[in-house]
Amino acid sequence: MRLPEGTRDVLPPEWAWRESLRAQLSGQFARHGYRGVDVPTLEFQDAAHPQDATAFKLIDRDGSVLALRSEFTTAIAQLARRRFPEGPFPLRLQYAGRLWLRGQASELGHLREFTQVGAELMGVRSPQADAELLEVAGSALRGVGVAAQLEVGHPGFVDGLLEDAGVTGAARDALHEAVDRKSGPDLAAGLRAHDLSADLGRTLHAVMDLYGGPEVLPAARALPLGERAAAALGDLAAIAQAFGPERLLFDLGMSRRYGYYSGYTFRAYVAGHAQPVLGGGRYGGRAGEWPGAGFAVGLERLTEVAARHLPPEREVVLALDEAGVRHAQALGLVAERAWTADAAELRRYAEARGLRRMVRGESFMPVEEEA
Amino acid sequence: MSAGGLTLALPKGRIFEEAVELLSRAGLPLYLPEKSRALRFDMNGVQVLELRNQDVPVYVDLGVADAGVVGKDVLAESGRGVYEPVDLKFSGCRLSLIREVGAAGPLNRVASKYPRLTREYLARRGLSAEVIKLSGNIELACLTGLADAVVDLVQTGSTLVANNLEEREIVMHSTARFVVNRTALKLKRETLRPLIARLRALTE
Repeated sequence: MRLPEGTRDVLPPEWAWRESLRAQLSGQFARHGYRGVDVPTLEFQDAAHPQDATAFKLIDRDGSVLALRSEFTTAIAQLARRRFPEGPFPLRLQYAGRLWLRGQASELGHLREFTQVGAELMGVRSPQADAELLEVAGSALRGVGVAAQLEVGHPGFVDGLLEDAGVTGAARDALHEAVDRKSGPDLAAGLRAHDLSADLGRTLHAVMDLYGGPEVLPAARALPLGERAAAALGDLAAIAQAFGPERLLFDLGMSRRYGYYSGYTFRAYVAGHAQPVLGGGRYGGRAGEWPGAGFAVGLERLTEVAARHLPPEREVVLALDEAGVRHAQALGLVAERAWTADAAELRRYAEARGLRRMVRGESFMPVEEEA
Repeated sequence: MSAGGLTLALPKGRIFEEAVELLSRAGLPLYLPEKSRALRFDMNGVQVLELRNQDVPVYVDLGVADAGVVGKDVLAESGRGVYEPVDLKFSGCRLSLIREVGAAGPLNRVASKYPRLTREYLARRGLSAEVIKLSGNIELACLTGLADAVVDLVQTGSTLVANNLEEREIVMHSTARFVVNRTALKLKRETLRPLIARLRALTE
């Protein structure tokens, strides 16, 4: 009767709520032209896959190693190349389904089996395309009644600063790590340990505090930036301009946790919830890769966060004959069929299940009375 | 400074008192509560949770608390991805490899309250010792032969001398850190940004 750690059952009221949210999100994405696709749950194991280290692995008949799907973007990008090699671009696709991660600690917001609903905009790269995804993400959350705050960042900004300063290898990893945790003390220690310049140190310390509203952008521009960092900042400013900078939060200190992103990243915060309900960004575009951008909503998290405006539950009645079933359904009620003529047993069931009425033909009767 | 709606996670014991004192100087309306069995205090609108120090990173990472104070040793051991913007510079100590005076045999078993940091240290040194997680009086593991060495906190070193133990190598230095939940820093920045600035100014 036990379940593997990090997995769970979903019971009737929550199931209906989740399905309704999933349908509403898909409907929102569809309004913007995102067409639904599905990809297999089983994939070939691939050491280059971003989640390879934490994906569940299985052995196939011939001994080859398969992986349970651990992330959607890679699979959707492969589907696009397989099935839509000629576009037309931009290619707008949406998906919904389960993912599995072996390594996740199972606690608040970190199940090992979880569901994502997402959208991908592939084959083009422009600030307008990046802004479109912010628009689609924001309006989808508003559509399900969630007041969220979108935040954008650009991992290429910190990476560009380090690249422009000629920092490589272990030193670069250590500084990325310290900046991402906004750890002033660890940054100072990393700079000392690797004998790096005081100028770079001052800039990186300042970058950790570059979070907040649009005032962050001019503050970043005032720093001594090399070519790459300035390009990343310019990219982010153009996206913000296309979307409306006053509708965004910014964090220029976001760095290494988002290794496979090649452009901006974004997430949506909801007050009172520690985990973002949505995250995404721009990927690909390097040699031999298609450019693309997308985001995914964590359905389990959204289920917790979204205000519960479920459609009112329909009354369920116990139908004693087929005419009763038809009559109840015609009135918009849910009809469960009687399976026995034993009136006492039907009454016991109806009480246990919380049903108040029975129906025979076109007449309803309260459960307490003799059927 | 408006600090209403802020929830802080503080470890019980001496570090609690020092944290309250420093955070008050930084402008939060905190005070030392009378001795009581209460675990949660409303200090003029700021909620204060009194926790075991290992639990502070959990409460902050999961967003139950917006911010907290915890030793760098405990934070590193937790592996939690919280922001840690300020070194508060009190509660200084070091985590060290400790052996019996003169012990020279190979390191096959190392006992510690800090299994993650111990494993990382051994890996850095290229050693493949077994790590035993213990909860207290770690020095006994050495003296009784349960382990060949222990990794534990050293503050003054007097416990070591009294037990015929010696410090062989420093694994890490630790001081108290101000830690902040990733979402709270962004959504409560009106309160947290100036608080961080004052804490930095006070500890510089």
